[in-house]
Amino acid sequence: MAMAPNQNCAAILAWAAIACFVAGGSAWAEENERGADLFRLCAVCHGEDAGGEQAIGAPAIAGMPQWYLEAQLKQFRNGNRGTHFDDLMGMRMRPMARTLTHEGDVEAVSAHVAAMPPVDPAPTLTGGDLEAGKAIFSTICITCHGPEAAGNKDLMGAAPLNRSSDWYMFRQVRNFKSGIRGSRPGDQGGALMRPMMLQLKDDQDIKNVVAYIMTLGN
Amino acid sequence: MIDQYVVALSTYANDIDNLILLIGVLVGFWLILCELVFFYFIIRFRAKDGRRAEYITGEEKSHKRWISYPHMLVLVCDVFIVFFAIKVWYDVKQQLPEPYETVRIVGQQWAWSFVHPGADHELGTADDIKTVDELHIEVGKVYHFKLESRDVLHSFSVPVFRLKQDAVPGRVITGWFEANGTGTHDIQCAEICGIGHALMPAQIFIESPERHAAWVAEQSPVTLASANQP
Repeated sequence: MAMAPNQNCAAILAWAAIACFVAGGSAWAEENERGADLFRLCAVCHGEDAGGEQAIGAPAIAGMPQWYLEAQLKQFRNGNRGTHFDDLMGMRMRPMARTLTHEGDVEAVSAHVAAMPPVDPAPTLTGGDLEAGKAIFSTICITCHGPEAAGNKDLMGAAPLNRSSDWYMFRQVRNFKSGIRGSRPGDQGGALMRPMMLQLKDDQDIKNVVAYIMTLGN
Repeated sequence: MIDQYVVALSTYANDIDNLILLIGVLVGFWLILCELVFFYFIIRFRAKDGRRAEYITGEEKSHKRWISYPHMLVLVCDVFIVFFAIKVWYDVKQQLPEPYETVRIVGQQWAWSFVHPGADHELGTADDIKTVDELHIEVGKVYHFKLESRDVLHSFSVPVFRLKQDAVPGRVITGWFEANGTGTHDIQCAEICGIGHALMPAQIFIESPERHAAWVAEQSPVTLASANQP
C-alpha cells in the first residue's frame, strides 16, 4: 500500500531521529568508556569511588563539576599547579595530568568523574568556630564561591568548595597564603585567590572558615 | 663507541664508557669462544652408528684442563676489569675535585626539584634559585651535588653524564660532575619509585657562561620580585 507524501516525510524524520539517537548514544558510550579507562590511573590515589585519601593528599573529586575538573587538570598540565618547590602533593598530581596527552582525554576523564556519585567527606579538623568562620566566609569568599560555596565557572572558575575535604581546603588556603599555589604568572584565578587568603590571619582563621564551609553542602 | 648512541658530555663519561666496553669485549670474547667450543663438541661427538655413549666424570687431567685453563684465563681478565673498575670508581666516586658551585637535588614522588646557589655561588642564602624539573649549570665547571629524597628511594640519572646515583630518604649524598659540552638533556629516575616513576622526567640545561649568567639574573628572587610588582 502506497504512503501519502506527508507520511513519507514523517517516516524519514523518524528514521533520521533514530539514527541520530543511535549515533549519539554510541558516541556517548565510547566517550564514557574512554573516561572510565583513563580514570583507572586516578583511582590509584583518589580511590575507586574518587572519595579521596588523606594519607597521600589525594582529595575527593567524585561528582565535582566537569568544568572545574577540566580546569584543574589543565592547570596541572600547563604547570600553573604542581611546579612549586614545596608543593609536594601537586608534584604528585602533575605527572598524572600530563599522561592525558590525546585530544579529548581531559574532557573524557572529567566527564566520567563528574558523573560519579558525590562523596561527602567527613570532617577531620577540630576547633573551628562556625560563627567566626561564617563572618570570614561572608566577607571574603561568598562573592566568588557563592552562598552555598558551590563555585562559579564564570568568576575565574571559582572552585566548588561544598563537597571538598576540610583537610584539603586547609592545605590549599595555606598554599595560597605562602605562594605555593597562585604565584605562577599564568594562574589568573590563583592570583585572585592569594590576596583573599592573605586576609586570613592564622591557622585558626583557616579552621574557622573551613568548618563553616563544611556545614554548607556536606 | 658508546657515545655514537648516547652523547657523552661529562669529563668522566668516557672513562665509564671505556670500562663498559672493556667488560663487554672480555665477556663477549669468552661467550663466543665457549659457544664455539660447545657447538664443536656437539657436532664432533654426535650420535653415530656402532658407538656407545660414554659417561665421564671429568676427573682426569685431560678432561679437567677444559675447565681449569679457561678458569685461570678468566681470572686474569677479572683482574683487568677490577683494576680499571676501581680506578674509575675512585676517580668518579671517591675523588671529588674542588667545586665551582654546589647544587641541591631533591627527588620526590614524582618530580625532581633543584636548588641553585644563585649569583653569590653559595647555597642556603637568600638568592638561591629553586626550580622543579629544570637543572641549569654552566659548561666546563665542576659542580658538587647534595642529593636527597623526600619520600622513597629514587635514582638521579643523567645518561649523557653516565651519572646514576641513588637518593635515599634520610641521607644527603654528595657527588660531582663537570659538563664538557652544552645542550639540553634528559634527567631520569632510575629506581622504581611508585606509579608515577616513568612520569618524572626533568631536564638539564648545560649553558655557556654568558647564557648561564643571564639565566641566573632572570631567576634571581630580586629580579622576579620586581617583575611581579604591579
